[in-house]
Amino acid sequence: MATIDITNLRKEFGDDGEQIVAVDDVNLEIEDGEFLVFVGPSGCGKTTTLRCVAGLEDVTDGSIEFDGNDVTDQRARDRDVAMVFQNYALYPHMTVRKNIGFPLRLSTKQSTEAINERVEEVAEMLGIEELLGDQPKELSGGQQQRVALGRAIIRDPEVFLMDEPLSNLDAKLRSTMRTELQELQSELGVTTCYVTHDQTEAMAMGDRIAVLNEGELQQVGTASDVYRSPTNEFVAGFIGSPSINTFTAEVEGATLHGPGGFEYTFDDPSVLEGHDRIRVGIRPEDMRLDADGGMPGLVTVVEEMGNENFLYATMGEIDLTARVESKMHPDEGMSVDFGFDEEDIYLFDIDTQQSVKTKTSETDVDYRQFVAND
Amino acid sequence: MVLGAIQSRVRSSRTYQQLSDRVRYARQDVSDLVPKIPGLPYAYISPFFILFGIFLLFPTVYTFYLSFFDYVGVSNDILLQIAAGPFELTIPQIANLEWVGLSHYERLIFRDSLFHTSLFNTSFIFFVQVPLMVILGLATALVLDSKFIRAKGLFRTLIALPVATGLVAYSTIFLLLFNDQVGLVNYVLTQVGFEPVSWLGSAWGARFTLVIAVTWRWLGYNMIILLAGLQTVPQQLYEAAEIDGATRWQQFRHVTLPQIRPVLLFVVVSSTIGTFQIFSEPYVITGGGPSNATITIVQYIYNQAFLQLNLGYASAVSVILVVIVSIMSIIQINIGGEE
Amino acid sequence: MRSEERNEALWKFGSYIFLLTIVVLVMIPLYWMIVAATIPQSEFFTWPPRLLPGFEWFSNFQALQENVDFVRSMGNSIIISVSYTALSLVLCSMAGFAFAKYEFRFKEPLFYFILATLVLPIQLLIIPLFLLITQLGWTNSYLAVILPWAANPLGIFLMRQNMKAIPDSLLESARMDGATEFQLYYKIALPTMLPSLAALSIILFLNQWQAFLYPLVVLQDPQMYTIPLALADLVGAQRVYFDQIMVATSLAVTPIFVVFLTMQQYFIKGILSGSVKQ
Repeated sequence: MATIDITNLRKEFGDDGEQIVAVDDVNLEIEDGEFLVFVGPSGCGKTTTLRCVAGLEDVTDGSIEFDGNDVTDQRARDRDVAMVFQNYALYPHMTVRKNIGFPLRLSTKQSTEAINERVEEVAEMLGIEELLGDQPKELSGGQQQRVALGRAIIRDPEVFLMDEPLSNLDAKLRSTMRTELQELQSELGVTTCYVTHDQTEAMAMGDRIAVLNEGELQQVGTASDVYRSPTNEFVAGFIGSPSINTFTAEVEGATLHGPGGFEYTFDDPSVLEGHDRIRVGIRPEDMRLDADGGMPGLVTVVEEMGNENFLYATMGEIDLTARVESKMHPDEGMSVDFGFDEEDIYLFDIDTQQSVKTKTSETDVDYRQFVAND
Repeated sequence: MVLGAIQSRVRSSRTYQQLSDRVRYARQDVSDLVPKIPGLPYAYISPFFILFGIFLLFPTVYTFYLSFFDYVGVSNDILLQIAAGPFELTIPQIANLEWVGLSHYERLIFRDSLFHTSLFNTSFIFFVQVPLMVILGLATALVLDSKFIRAKGLFRTLIALPVATGLVAYSTIFLLLFNDQVGLVNYVLTQVGFEPVSWLGSAWGARFTLVIAVTWRWLGYNMIILLAGLQTVPQQLYEAAEIDGATRWQQFRHVTLPQIRPVLLFVVVSSTIGTFQIFSEPYVITGGGPSNATITIVQYIYNQAFLQLNLGYASAVSVILVVIVSIMSIIQINIGGEE
Repeated sequence: MRSEERNEALWKFGSYIFLLTIVVLVMIPLYWMIVAATIPQSEFFTWPPRLLPGFEWFSNFQALQENVDFVRSMGNSIIISVSYTALSLVLCSMAGFAFAKYEFRFKEPLFYFILATLVLPIQLLIIPLFLLITQLGWTNSYLAVILPWAANPLGIFLMRQNMKAIPDSLLESARMDGATEFQLYYKIALPTMLPSLAALSIILFLNQWQAFLYPLVVLQDPQMYTIPLALADLVGAQRVYFDQIMVATSLAVTPIFVVFLTMQQYFIKGILSGSVKQ
């Protein structure tokens, strides 16, 4: 268990004068026992950051501390970290038992019996005790994943690192493993850094989420924070599925004029001050069919999912996605109007992409009213 | 003709055309082309097989056959004559032979001390040279494979250069290099403070000269093969081991070695086979001397067969050589292939 | 950690030193050959020996040529190696193509049979071959050296392996375009295989160029000597004329070096393809 302090982390690649900056000035403090998820599109630097924490990459600048100890110059094997790889990286010529026991064989002088005991403990925890005599190639993806996990947790490390461990599994297995991983981490209480490109996974699993883009840390916060209060347009667009609808609008007093006839007047126009043009964001789930909505759209595709419908429409040159109740199924080709609440609209500065206004709806509810009296 | 007719019938049918798209991809794995002209493949392979049969198969079998005979001389007898109309084929006997049964083998195994010497010499060179070269080659390949090494291609080219030298050609160079009086090696030794070694004039000196020469010639070759094997080891395995706490040596033992085992085995076996067959180097550098200290098995075969015309006897030696090499290879494969 | 960094640096430094040592050790004999080939005979038996190359290559060569007709042996080697390579390429590629792309009876057993012969050592062949060649009256002829080895098992194996990679659909569409069967081989398969053909031809050429034992047996006339034979003869008869020997050696190795340096990747491909992964 340890806190991780990443300070001014910078990692460059390339030596022939062609420098690629993979990680640019990332600062992050991870709490002891926290499950922190790094998320972002491909090439955003999340894996590189993880590998720097692991010690598999040298840092170009900056420092990494575990519990206040500077580990920046330490080789990976001297840091007390364990890692689960996307491709599991199991030793192909060793049995499951040997794979899991390998870290102990290497570092401690424990006897074979002691190691085996521990291996069996771990295997039971993960439900793979029957596979101990098998070779990795005989196992399914999910089983291999568990072996990789076993190999990681047997050392009781300070830090767990996971590099997209669920990406190679099929969808159903992925969601089962997701919950299992969370339970495991909470039981063991190990500080964990988890990398994924799937924002749903990130939102579900992390205590906090770190969103990266092009090597820069965009925002760190809880799922709720990044969803409701993204710091910039990128985070707003990345988090949330389906993605937020965004477009540019002209500001005229308290009214916004957008493409395709979009028109909305603010009750509280103070947020618009200082902007002639502004970027607008509205999440599909916040949209509804509303004749006075001010957001006209030409329906192109209707997807009926059973529990809800996705409406795809065009508003001028902008493509819109809306998520509505299942009983709302306009015909394709119909012109409709969408509406939303002012507290759900997002506004971003057109030059800096920084958020000007984010969701301001109520989130605090007194739950005692929902608890039955004995 | 019939085949063609059936083919076109099938191809023009509706079912075939509907299926053909779906089947097309599956088909690629399953079937090869059906030859339009029956017997065409045989036409393609016959030139090869005719030469193969006459010049590779027949001699092999004949050597075994010959080992039970004494060669008496050239023969003018006819082995086989086929006359069929205008076509006439005469197969002459190629040698005059006298049956001796197992006496060649008996003499070789129990009484021929020169053969025993050649066996010893060849084995000695093998025992020293093969481990030396494999370890050196592996070490070089490992270092060259490291992440931080620059100019990998250049190093590889330079170390592999001996691959382009002919066996006789490089032997002449080593003949000069290790010359007792004016060779460069002795010069360097004296400069560093050692006594000059009688490389070509002493038994052990000559043997080591051959070991060094053969190692020089084949190091690069084996290094290339080992390097290719090393490059197939997934980087992530090393990373996982590193994270698990493995030192460089432990990573080598637990990740590298198991992964390159087949390649390593190949290098060992092929080097063994090659070393047991060396001929050019002892012929040129040491002449088999001094006093038969470096005569090798193949040299002995050559001397017996072409200097003394004991073709039957020499054939027996060849057979024994093949048996020895086969046994060694089988042993090595069994040891090396085990888990 | 300071000591960690220092250990790393030491390791890297040591690695480079190791590699450089190997390179130097490998280069020394070749460098020495150049020195020895370019200094006059008189400077040979000095002590300490001369370490820098000179300019006498051509005069040494002249002495060599007057002594033995080395140019002739070079000519022999070239003719033999080139013809051999061409012939073997044709034979092996044709047969390899058939094995790779056609169905016919006995295909499997025949191929495995050839595979089995890959391990045949040359010593099992030379004695009967000698008898055969003598009986045929081919002694001291180019034919004796070229023909017996043209059916090279390694060649056919490599050709089949590489030809298997040609998509059947390519050949089928050529057929539909009206190509004759032979054109499939000649116009489609061969051009696609150019890199493999190059690699194989290097193996074949080099094997023949420096072949020693077998040519030694069947070529007794000095006029027909190949380079290795001429070289060995020089050494045997003229052990003292090192300058001539070295000139001859330099002539023997330089063409191959040029091929190696310019066609390295094919060379290496050839080496690697010979290592069959069981």
